[in-house]
Amino acid sequence: MNAVGNTSAPVYGIAAEFQCARDLYHAAQKIRDAGFQKWDVFSPFPIHGMDEAMGMKRSILGKVVFLGGLTGFLTAVTLEFGTSSFLYPLIVAGKPTNLFTVPAFFPIMFELTILLSAFTAVFGMLLMNGLPRLNHQLFNWDRFKLVTEDKFFVAIEAKDPQFSSRSVSDFLESLGGTHITTIHGD
Amino acid sequence: MSGHEPSQPSSHTFDYKHVGGRFLGLVALAVVAFAAVAIGAFTNTKQFAFSYLFAFTFFLTICMGGLFWTFVHHAVDAEWSVVVRRQLENIASLLAVMGILFIPLIFVAPTLWYWMKPENANDPLLIEKWPYLTKEFFWIRAAFYFVFFTVASLWLRRNSIKQDTSGSAKYTLLNRKITFGSLPLFAVSLTFAAIDWLMGLDYHWFSTMWGVYIFAGTALSSMCVLVLIITALRNAGYFKNVITIEHYHIMGKLMLAFTIFWAYIGFSQYMLIWYANIPEETIYFLRRNTESWQILSTALVVGHFFVPFLLLLSNMGKKNPAFLCGMALWILTMHLLDIYVVVLPALHKAGVQPNWLDFACLAAIGCTLAALFLKRLGDSPLWPLRDPRLKNSIALKN
Repeated sequence: MNAVGNTSAPVYGIAAEFQCARDLYHAAQKIRDAGFQKWDVFSPFPIHGMDEAMGMKRSILGKVVFLGGLTGFLTAVTLEFGTSSFLYPLIVAGKPTNLFTVPAFFPIMFELTILLSAFTAVFGMLLMNGLPRLNHQLFNWDRFKLVTEDKFFVAIEAKDPQFSSRSVSDFLESLGGTHITTIHGD
Repeated sequence: MSGHEPSQPSSHTFDYKHVGGRFLGLVALAVVAFAAVAIGAFTNTKQFAFSYLFAFTFFLTICMGGLFWTFVHHAVDAEWSVVVRRQLENIASLLAVMGILFIPLIFVAPTLWYWMKPENANDPLLIEKWPYLTKEFFWIRAAFYFVFFTVASLWLRRNSIKQDTSGSAKYTLLNRKITFGSLPLFAVSLTFAAIDWLMGLDYHWFSTMWGVYIFAGTALSSMCVLVLIITALRNAGYFKNVITIEHYHIMGKLMLAFTIFWAYIGFSQYMLIWYANIPEETIYFLRRNTESWQILSTALVVGHFFVPFLLLLSNMGKKNPAFLCGMALWILTMHLLDIYVVVLPALHKAGVQPNWLDFACLAAIGCTLAALFLKRLGDSPLWPLRDPRLKNSIALKN
């Protein structure tokens, strides 16, 4: 088995190459069924149904975004009613600001809800994906560059509780993976 | 039963045995309701005019929505909606009937649209609106809307049915061309129909967002009707292995989207008028936000937006046909209330005053359309059998 990267550095994981999306999809199903937790697949394009084949759960991002939106909404309510109705009551054209001035406040509530929801969605997504990052151990492997062309890859990380180099490399081979390689860090 | 193909319920043509005597019941109810409406038309013409317009508008928006979603399907070359498209076409094909049901309004036109009355002929505001608000142009426009709606809906449906036997992709392409030609005409027809028949109830008043406000309710209500029709057919045993929870998920998402859209447009219209505070514009909301109309307007804000918005937000409800049907019924009720608050305050300026004619007109038009829809249902296969994208549509994942 080949090894790439700095061989004295800790092992990131073991990766294998597949020739087509179908092979990758079936390999993913088998890795899922074998009970691995820390692993990922890589392909030049999105593959429909791959999340299910990998046994991925629904992201919690949606719920986080809801909380983000709620924060935005409450911020707007506090800022508007707090300042113009309580701290420094505004009386414009003989009309005090109160519950009935809500039409004027509504656009700000709406905009802040949307703004914080969007921020939470974008930055939450980046955070959960561990992005942005400058480098990745897999880039130590030259063949991995083909992932942006026509090759498909699977990597099982050393962090996985079931990981042991021998069994994982045998397992990947049994799935039809080629160029099985141990990836070291820098 | 053994592992054979699911037996008779998997059929793709509607069997009238599911309806049975209820069809005749609907027809009988429609006849009785129309007779009652006719009596009301002579004893209380004014109330009849407004009640009929209210019921007419409610069903017109649903039918226009069916046409709208058919257009959307063809215009964006949609995949998911292939399996539900025939039902949208069936809803849209009722627009031809709406053209006939419009006829009673011709006789009460000056009662409804009081700019037609001779005593208003010298009103400077009316003279300013010449030649848009002239009787000749008004009727030409009305004729145009219905001719366009009828031709577009029936033509698209006919091509779609032809494809069921030939399987030729040329009908898909032809329908796409028809759609591109029709979309601008549809926008114009819906907008100006809303302006003519609803904004025209008070020709002094105007709102630049009126057309899109009515459109928001149109798209939303027809999506709700689609959910109800699909579920009823599924419960009768059709659409097995054709329409799945994934399709419900998409319909639920569209219901949520248009709930938000309705609120966005409704609020934008309200805020612009509230803020500018021009008497000519505020008259509309002044009437609807005072007396007992205030209760209904507030109920709309809560019931038409907040309730469905919060309930449809979660993923669970959208994937549950029973829940989604409950939401569809709720939103349709709110849409009915919306149209009520648009039309009736023009008559009952002092406050809400329900009349039996409101219900009689709803029953008359509703039963007529329901009976004709059932007739339509059996005319053609329940979904486009040989659409090139049918397989992908059935295998939908989202």
